[in-house]
Amino acid sequence: MAAKKLRRAQLSQEMCERLSRYQITTCQDFLCLSLLELMKVTGQSYYEVQKLLCKVSRACAPKMQTAYEMKLRKSVNPSSAFLSTTLHSLDRVLHGGVPCGSLTEITSPPGCGKTQFCIMLSVLATLPVSMGGLDGAVIYIDTESAFSAERLIEMAANRFPAYFDSDEKLLCMSRSIHLYRELTCCCVLKRIMSLEEEIISKKVKLIIIDSVASVVRKEFDTKLQGNLAERSNFLTRGASVLKYLAEEFSIPV
Amino acid sequence: MQREVGTLPLAPALRARLAAAGFQTAQELLDTGPCGLSKEIGISREEALEALQVVRQECHGDAARTAGGSGATRKCTALELLEEEQTQGFIITFCSALDNILGGGVQLTKITEICGAPGVGKTQLCMQLAVDVQIPECFGGVAGEAVFIDTEGSFMVDRVVDIAAACVQHCHLIAEAQQEEDLRKALETFSLENILSHIYYFRCRDYTELLAQVYLLPEFLSEHSKVRLVVIDGIAFPFRHDFEDLSLRTRLLNGLAQQLIIIANDHKSAVVLTNQMTTRIGQSQSTLVPALGESWGHAATVRLIFHWDNSQRLATLYKSPSQKESTIAYHITSQGFRDVQPPAVTHSTEGTELNPRKRPRTEEEKQ
Repeated sequence: MAAKKLRRAQLSQEMCERLSRYQITTCQDFLCLSLLELMKVTGQSYYEVQKLLCKVSRACAPKMQTAYEMKLRKSVNPSSAFLSTTLHSLDRVLHGGVPCGSLTEITSPPGCGKTQFCIMLSVLATLPVSMGGLDGAVIYIDTESAFSAERLIEMAANRFPAYFDSDEKLLCMSRSIHLYRELTCCCVLKRIMSLEEEIISKKVKLIIIDSVASVVRKEFDTKLQGNLAERSNFLTRGASVLKYLAEEFSIPV
Repeated sequence: MQREVGTLPLAPALRARLAAAGFQTAQELLDTGPCGLSKEIGISREEALEALQVVRQECHGDAARTAGGSGATRKCTALELLEEEQTQGFIITFCSALDNILGGGVQLTKITEICGAPGVGKTQLCMQLAVDVQIPECFGGVAGEAVFIDTEGSFMVDRVVDIAAACVQHCHLIAEAQQEEDLRKALETFSLENILSHIYYFRCRDYTELLAQVYLLPEFLSEHSKVRLVVIDGIAFPFRHDFEDLSLRTRLLNGLAQQLIIIANDHKSAVVLTNQMTTRIGQSQSTLVPALGESWGHAATVRLIFHWDNSQRLATLYKSPSQKESTIAYHITSQGFRDVQPPAVTHSTEGTELNPRKRPRTEEEKQ
């Protein structure tokens, strides 16, 4: 939205040409200037500039929705609001399970079972909706190479023996879990940025990143100068993209 | 009428031409007329007419201001201000200790900033306030609507439903205890659907959308004149990453603060912002301070800092023009933001916990 070109904000052609002479081509550049600068750059009077500001703001402002509309939308599809973890006390505490449409973070000391939990969630996500799953594919970004496919099959067969009664079902399930091994920060970031198209094409219903901390700690030593800012930059950029994906597609991350 | 040409809100190129042609005051422009103007400085007659209309509008505005007209003036005596402040409403937070240290609750026409570490309860308080602003006046509320601008995506509708249900139930209990007709009538409109439909939600994903939304806010507020609360949840988030030019950031934030102050004053609404904490690394130790830098600290009128003390949540009033600095403890229950000590169960004290102004009524009843 910020990179929207001014041409599409319904400004007149000559105005856009004039602004591009000052290197102002996107809504972001336009809104970052103060009123006096805008007057100088557009050559318009004060009132005209205010009207232009309103026009450009309208082009990139978010849409309004009341809380009631949001609730109605959620209640239309109650089962899709959460991914149940099948651990009843955990589901109760989480108000239904892992919420769809927002980021959930799992932290613990090493060896507690985070990767096992993630593997189990991947199995659950591939189950049909009638069994409490999301009936979709899973994207698993693995930075520690800790994902074991054999363990996945073992879990699925033992947990849901009635459903995974044939080898074919197991194969089908493992086919819908897409594993990406990324070992550096910028690879992870690039992968996150490219996820949007994959989600649509593969009908993904769950994104797991295991784990964010390991790759960040390996690369950024916070005792060195300047690394702290870069690290937080990387983390916040990744976080905002993931939040956008979670909200846009209403899937848990 | 003697206003200088250089101060008129005309286009800069036009101003330069007028100065080059030798025009000095607005009166000269008006005397020349559009045709004369167009011949002298070489612009078309329509442009000259437009310019003259702008000049005339400005001069009329000036004349009205000097004659002591209303509307544009922002000056009044301190006595008028005192009367205004005393009749002004507060938005209660349902935590009486917090209301007490704030002097009654979140004040209208002021900017309140809530800073805290993640998970301490800032968004919870914002959701509580968005529900509390809609409490009808006979229960001690301001009967307004709320605008919620979300930059972090932490607004959960289900949680708001819980908070609103608890608030409605609380008002029902009071109405039953007081047994008054107007209370019951007000409760008919104070239902869950009404509360939710009067919370206007905007999701801004980066700072450009936030800036655009704040530019459009005055128009929105004049259409929805009952709005009494604007919440911006997470003003720090879009400005903290991807900003290499810190001076641009400071400039944008200051501009934002100015606009919010104007909005708070013109529409008599409270503005609540939430901020994150950052670590300031000192010589020997590091301290947690509110994010966005020193100059942002001047933007808010009232500053609350939420922090942890072992497992107790505390709120400190860090900056306020009228109240003294103090710290209280609060709780977040399934019903929302509450005091640590549950209030006494008798009905009369329930009324006083809601709003100090209710006290006279219950005392009369007891008599």
